[in-house]
Amino acid sequence: MTTLATSNTLQDTLVGMGQLAAERTPQRMKAVLGSCIGLAIYHARLKTGVMAHIVLPDSAGRSGAPGKFADTAVPGMLETLKKLNTPLHGLTAKFAGGANMFNGSGPLQIGDANAEAVGRALRLAGIRVVGQEVGGTKGRRVTFDCASGEMTIECAGQPARTL
Amino acid sequence: MTEGYNDNDRALGALHELFASATHDASAAMCRWTCGLITVTLDEVRQIALEDVSVGLDIGDDLLTMVVLTLRGEVGGNLILVFDEPGGRQLAASLLRRQPGTDPEWSDIEKSALTETGNILGCAYVNALSRLIGTDLAPSAPYFIQDFGASVLQQAVMTQALTSDTLLLCEIGFHREGEELDWRVVFVPTQGMQAAMQQSLHAAP
Repeated sequence: MTTLATSNTLQDTLVGMGQLAAERTPQRMKAVLGSCIGLAIYHARLKTGVMAHIVLPDSAGRSGAPGKFADTAVPGMLETLKKLNTPLHGLTAKFAGGANMFNGSGPLQIGDANAEAVGRALRLAGIRVVGQEVGGTKGRRVTFDCASGEMTIECAGQPARTL
Repeated sequence: MTEGYNDNDRALGALHELFASATHDASAAMCRWTCGLITVTLDEVRQIALEDVSVGLDIGDDLLTMVVLTLRGEVGGNLILVFDEPGGRQLAASLLRRQPGTDPEWSDIEKSALTETGNILGCAYVNALSRLIGTDLAPSAPYFIQDFGASVLQQAVMTQALTSDTLLLCEIGFHREGEELDWRVVFVPTQGMQAAMQQSLHAAP
């Protein structure tokens, strides 16, 4: 089952951990990220986008929320776009997140692993990445605007950036 | 509506007792540290769906001041003290016996006061848990973070998210002279910690 996030205002749809949301212009989709990845796949002509809040790199056959794992989120996002009659050619992707919030140094850095897995899943699906900002030790608030296709990234104590 | 009191409710109830006992010790330490000003009480032990965790805990995209202690290992977890900006400043100022700072940047001494609060409260809590479950637990040094609350919470729940779409969290509230404060502690135990707690409860006479 695909769980879609719901709009909490006309303009902003909050995408929680493991969720997928699909919207058209003029809606915006928003996620707050630490080690998770906010991935937006977008059709520029139709101004339709889908965003996933990816928590972990690999499902390893486990079931879970539709946007939880990088390897299952990307096919789930494409399926969602198909249901909205969005052609799958001409799609582009932007993503951000994958921080290491606690600045640890263990063998598994989940933020790095998430970023790598998202890149891999997009390559497998043949989707071109046109913007990304990953890593670091700070959280990010990302907003994807379906009207412009821009992803705005805010970090504590830094000016906002746009992909 | 009346719901059946099932095994899950019983397990949560038992964990609540154990967390309440640890919180009691933490409250005594907090009370000593703040010269009788601040106490803490266990608010809730609850299960929450992964996608609802930020909204459910009302930790959204606000910038918050936090002190984090990590218990590494299978029987581990993360303990996060969460303050809004004025609340954190106020606590630091009262510990330092001076007026709250107004510079947007926190001074080293203010950070140190809040970090030490996390250390004292966290260590009392962890020591009590260690005693209750019969396992030595050693927390990391506390660290000070100013960031989006949801971003920090996300990393804290990652170990549980590896195996489940439902998370177990323990929330502790602060009080000053009986009045509830807008500060709290969120403890996120690993599955190993939860299992150890359940085991200790079963082993209890």
